Amino acid sequence: MSKLDATDIQGIVLRGYNLPFARYLFLEIADAQRGREFIGKLLYRITTGEHWDEGKPEWTLNIAFTHKGLVNLNLPDASLLSFPVEFLQGMKARGEILSDTGENAPEKWDSIWREGRVDIWLAVNSKAKTTLDTLGAELQRVVDETGGAKVVGVQDAGSFWIDGAWSSKEHFGYTDGFGNPDYLGVERDTQPGQGKLLADGGWAPLATGELLLGYADEAGELPVAPIPHLLASNGTFMVYRKLHQNVATFRRYLEEKGKLYAGGKEKLASKFLGRWRDGTPVELSPDAPNAEIVKDKLRNVNFTFGNDSDGTRCPIGAHLRRTNPRDAFGFNGRLVNRRRITRRGLPYGPYVPEDQPVEDSGEHGIIFMALNASLFRQFEFVQQQWVGYGNDARLGNDKDLLLGNHEARDKHMIQGTEDPMNPPFVCGGLPKFVELRGGNYFFLPSMTALRMIAAGTVDPR
Amino acid sequence: MANQSGDVYGLTILSPILQDLTAETSHNCAIRMKLASMPGDESSPFAKVSSTHMARLVVMDDVVYVGMPSCEEHLKSQYLVFETNFDGELDEYLTRMAREIPADVDALWQHCWGYPGTKDVAAFIAYMKKCQITTTFYFADVNNHTVQETLTALQTQAAVAEFIERNQGKAAAELQIAFAHFLEKLRKAPPPVPGRPEKGGPPRIETNMKWATRNAANTKQVTPNE
Repeated sequence: MSKLDATDIQGIVLRGYNLPFARYLFLEIADAQRGREFIGKLLYRITTGEHWDEGKPEWTLNIAFTHKGLVNLNLPDASLLSFPVEFLQGMKARGEILSDTGENAPEKWDSIWREGRVDIWLAVNSKAKTTLDTLGAELQRVVDETGGAKVVGVQDAGSFWIDGAWSSKEHFGYTDGFGNPDYLGVERDTQPGQGKLLADGGWAPLATGELLLGYADEAGELPVAPIPHLLASNGTFMVYRKLHQNVATFRRYLEEKGKLYAGGKEKLASKFLGRWRDGTPVELSPDAPNAEIVKDKLRNVNFTFGNDSDGTRCPIGAHLRRTNPRDAFGFNGRLVNRRRITRRGLPYGPYVPEDQPVEDSGEHGIIFMALNASLFRQFEFVQQQWVGYGNDARLGNDKDLLLGNHEARDKHMIQGTEDPMNPPFVCGGLPKFVELRGGNYFFLPSMTALRMIAAGTVDPR
Repeated sequence: MANQSGDVYGLTILSPILQDLTAETSHNCAIRMKLASMPGDESSPFAKVSSTHMARLVVMDDVVYVGMPSCEEHLKSQYLVFETNFDGELDEYLTRMAREIPADVDALWQHCWGYPGTKDVAAFIAYMKKCQITTTFYFADVNNHTVQETLTALQTQAAVAEFIERNQGKAAAELQIAFAHFLEKLRKAPPPVPGRPEKGGPPRIETNMKWATRNAANTKQVTPNE
């Protein structure tokens, strides 16, 4: 596998920008012809994966489409029908699989998602907040000039400024954004622990086809992709989920249970996620956070669960162990290589320090975005089987403590030892810490595909 | 003994379905209609035979011809496939089927060649054995514990989790008293009932153990290319 053509791939696919500000614009296409014109005018502004010779740019711009968006742009039927069925249906229709029911059901979503109005996702990431406004205004001008689309929603997101620096914390206080997989051909500083586990204990990048369409995946197969090949190749699928966080409930629950747990509140928080709130992996340092490990790229994602099959260090149901079980299911981790996703999320809403009062109703949450070649095989599987269910981890019906759509009497087991500071503990009566406010599945095309869409030359024959 | 894995028996039965071109509803359609009307979860009649871990019924039509280069082949008949994993011996299980759910068994197998009915249990057993083929694969969750042992273990696990949750953090002496009390209660608890109890029958013990079949998440995705 040679190096990928990074100039043909949208930048957000190949790297997390790590820029502090983001604005997501949601558009509805007004007219196919003018909609294509609109996309044509945006083309030269779209950020590709090309190498940043002169350091990070001031801003980036990326674009993706729902299936309805592609329909409204008049793509040929033969192409439209060739997309995988879950993308064709959209996230709303997949609610039963995803446990997006009850409080998380589409009826409870924000109106743009509930009404299914979104055709286009436009994402601006920037160094300065003012850029969001200037670039936003410029995009609005293009929208107005072409009349091809209408902005139906805007979502701002961004990192928190804490103690005089940008932080990668989220609202519950956890440091986020560690473990994204490595893929063959993607130029990146690789870290042990981020790809797939090898028999000798080393790590190697995952097959390109786990991230990008048009390349072999971990089974040596091409992911299901639309025709023609040029429309699919170098593109990927994105999940967008607006996850509201009940910060007050989380803090209250942690406080309450932390008093009962002999290891104390912070250790309990670490047993929820599998990382201490500063980011230290519990597996590597179960008794205390360790800033040295957090900083050390050779260690901060480099761990396995094979020697912790009882979960007495990192609980079997801890969030990061559920969503990326590594070698926990045996077979040198090979059972998880086709279930990996790449996350590109950011929190939204103001950060409220631990010592300040906060309410659940406040605008606090995370924009969860994940990229994968197959929504069905990767994101949906993780969400259904590992977040919403526990059987693979031998946890019965238990759900992910943080993300689970909990019902009364749901619980999270923390395995323990005879050490009085590391006792077994049951977190019962789990409230809903996170609620879904909407989202959808998007197709993130290559630059070539975008040009074809803009020119109306997608030809499936 | 491929049909037995520890104390669990794997039964596979292929019964040829009657072909009657004059029938108003063909026999295979009649079986499909009956199957479609039967609940697939723990209230299935097959769950009433309490030693059943799982049971599956399928109408096997034919070998599907997928085109060149494979050669076109056909089965001699359509078959009703019955697969079940259960505790104990085959004769006992078939006897229980004939005695405990005769109406459902007859409603299905009456559409099969040479089926003698359930009234004559010996004839029923002989017929089923004649249709039996060797089982080599078992339902993955079957682990050489009986249905009763599994349900009791689940009940105990759920009760212990609830006990810990209610009592964690208490002083040792207080905990000990609570545990003794809990243990006593657990020992006296009636054994859980497999399947869905009949109306008016013994109530299911309330634990936070939920039946997997009621959980939408349990509908596992099957990825065709795996």
